[in-house]
Amino acid sequence: MIMAIVPEKHAMPVQDPKVRARNFEEVALGYSENIAVAEAQRCLNCKNKPCVSGCPVNIDIPGFITKVKEGKFEDAYSIISLSSSLPAVCGRVCPQETQCEQKCTLGIKFQPVGIGRLERFVADYHNRNFKGLTSVPVSNGHKVAVIGSGPSGLTCAGDLAKKGYRVTVFEALHLAGGVLVYGIPEFRLPKDIVEKEVENLKAYGVEIMTNVVIGKTLTIDELFEDGFEAVFIGSGAGLPRFMGIPGESLKGVYSANEFLTRSNLMKAYKDGSDTPIMHAKRVAVVGGGNVAMDAARTALRLGAESVHIIYRRSMAELPARKEEVEHAEEEGIVFDILRNPVEIVGYHNADDRRDPKNGFVTGIKVIKCELGEPDEQGRRRPVEIPGSEYIIDVDCVIMSIGTSPNPLIKNTTTGLDVNRRGGIIVEESTGKTSKEGVYAGGDAVTGAATVILAMGAGKTAAKAIDEYISSKQTY
Amino acid sequence: MKDRIYFAAIEFPDDPNVVGHRYWYICPFEDVEEGDIVLAPLGRHSRLQQGVVREVRYAKDVDAPYPIYLIKYVRDVVKKRQGDYMMYKIIEKRELNPTVTMMEIYAPLVAKKAEPGQFIILRVDENGERIPLTVAGYNRKAGTVKIIFQIVGATTMKLNAKREGECLADFCGPLGCATETDGLKKVCIVGGGVGCAIALPVAQKLHELGCEVHSVIGFRNKDLLILEEEFAAYSSKLTVMTDDGSYGRKGVVTDPLKEALEGGEQYDRIIAIGPLIMMKFVVGAARPFGVPVTVSMNPIMIDGTGMCGGCRLTVGGKTKFACVDGPDFDGYEVDFDEAMERSRMYCDFEAHAREEECNLFKKEVK
Repeated sequence: MIMAIVPEKHAMPVQDPKVRARNFEEVALGYSENIAVAEAQRCLNCKNKPCVSGCPVNIDIPGFITKVKEGKFEDAYSIISLSSSLPAVCGRVCPQETQCEQKCTLGIKFQPVGIGRLERFVADYHNRNFKGLTSVPVSNGHKVAVIGSGPSGLTCAGDLAKKGYRVTVFEALHLAGGVLVYGIPEFRLPKDIVEKEVENLKAYGVEIMTNVVIGKTLTIDELFEDGFEAVFIGSGAGLPRFMGIPGESLKGVYSANEFLTRSNLMKAYKDGSDTPIMHAKRVAVVGGGNVAMDAARTALRLGAESVHIIYRRSMAELPARKEEVEHAEEEGIVFDILRNPVEIVGYHNADDRRDPKNGFVTGIKVIKCELGEPDEQGRRRPVEIPGSEYIIDVDCVIMSIGTSPNPLIKNTTTGLDVNRRGGIIVEESTGKTSKEGVYAGGDAVTGAATVILAMGAGKTAAKAIDEYISSKQTY
Repeated sequence: MKDRIYFAAIEFPDDPNVVGHRYWYICPFEDVEEGDIVLAPLGRHSRLQQGVVREVRYAKDVDAPYPIYLIKYVRDVVKKRQGDYMMYKIIEKRELNPTVTMMEIYAPLVAKKAEPGQFIILRVDENGERIPLTVAGYNRKAGTVKIIFQIVGATTMKLNAKREGECLADFCGPLGCATETDGLKKVCIVGGGVGCAIALPVAQKLHELGCEVHSVIGFRNKDLLILEEEFAAYSSKLTVMTDDGSYGRKGVVTDPLKEALEGGEQYDRIIAIGPLIMMKFVVGAARPFGVPVTVSMNPIMIDGTGMCGGCRLTVGGKTKFACVDGPDFDGYEVDFDEAMERSRMYCDFEAHAREEECNLFKKEVK
């Protein structure tokens, strides 16, 4: 029997934009079982499986979709978990449109299969319904240290633990999860999902030590002295960049990292949190990545009346995930594209030095741009139009223009080579660094990138670490 | 068992001088059993040290295993045999003056590495904010770190409400760079208010390195004076200043500093730790003489590990981050006016939170 193919993806049920713009609950509500099965039936189960090659961790996508089709959701979960340690997270935050779904054969004529949505459904189904115990692998007695409990660290730890290694994860903050807890907001990735994924890893015997800053509390050399045979560095991106324009030290100017950390990690959006955050009325966010979208939508939920995204190129060049941009637009975020900030303006009462409003932001001066010749990466360069400056009235500015790597580990580890920008230099196919037994991956290597790329790097390194330790034994 | 005393024999396996020996102590914690890890005073100076309980017994004072008039007490329990280390336990708490409190916290990993000038980040409880506090001392053998804080906002109020024996939720460090002490022969240390708590370990380290230390410490009034004796022990010259003249000399810390510089004192460096305005004026006083000034900055911070960028300062026209580049900076380069402005960002929130925390404000006045 040949069934007609539904040309479009089954729509994701979402909260109404007007309602969700004022709450921190998750925007996308997830497929129901019926919709999931129906969506799975759109998969052609084609022979060459192009989607798998589009996935940085090579999940057997047609395999798990077939199980969903048959209604065997737990089996589908088992297939995904062979390749991915954090399916509930990836189903929510991966840019599927440029990965697996971009390669989908169905996508040539119609819309591709909603792979990400199915992955999320399967993971949520498992987390809701699975009551059994995880079987803990037999220990092989080898100790591995993982620095950082973000996506790359958790993936590396998970993969090694499943192979029987005794893995200890060192986290600098008081909570495990890295960017998943301090960076990505609750409405996009609920924190209990991250917590659940971390619990799943602990069930495999992974030990997590919070409040330990490697490079300060302990050094990598000390880890080796303590009997760890290999170390994976997944310490993530570091200090936020600023533009170097006047006014960046005014009160009301945040880095996206600070703004999001206050809201997500420290729960400043909730009553009862001791951490303060500015509840600004008019907000400007500088930058066009996922982090900028998160910051803008968080500001909106904290009660802002207007939120502007200031980006120097056009909508087509926005680096953020498409779905996030669409959600942001629906919620009423204003996109001031082809604009570049030149100055942040503050209040200054020359007659009264003690005026409490002194030093607070009142506006951001921007200059209009047009797109010129493509640069070396092929992106069209923004060219400023002289004399087109104007001021947007805002009381808070959030800088979201990237980060530079954290210097703590580099400064305290001898023999670890870094590149000009401070990123750790690794062999791409293994994650091996210049120091023996030390591997690295994620933003600490690449600079700001995506969760799934970091996971891919963690996975690669786990495989290489396993090979490294096994090969050492034979001598 | 009323007439019986509980004794514990303790071994200190980490200390090479006494390895293999057991020492008897009176143990006020009657649930202590063999294998527990405790802190107890050891040696002539009774320095707290971490040890393992090897034997316990009840005995009358006449049957004490060690002469009862010489025996010391077990100070605290940090790990039960079956259980986790009681991380971040408050081993000692003491009020130094009505607004300043000292706490000694059990945090062995931090204690092992801490150096003068570095700081820690703590959270009092699960909903607490992360606050940075500079290390005021450490005992590597006992695994404890000393903090001294002034009760200024909701969090320090909550911290001050914690009692000895209770634990803090988080205690992370040591963070930031240690104060540079290499090659210094003669240094003037200027401390203001609770900043003296941070200046003290610097003075101690310099003193131990054989450097000549002159200290000037200043307070608003006599009641707020702290650590005078300790400073006297490490300084070859100590001047105490109070704003109102209720103790020591009347005036501000820059007065004796200027006099010393004008009198021809040749300092290799001045290290100033205290309120921003004080450090700014110390820099002003030193400028005509060209003496290098190190200042310790304590801006608003969240993670303290080089991630959020909240602690940024302008130093020498460049953006610097106190948590990884500091907290010590060249005083001549720091933009103090901007730092003072930024430190007031959450003033309203703080005042509000303090009122929430303080029950007096909740009472209805009729």
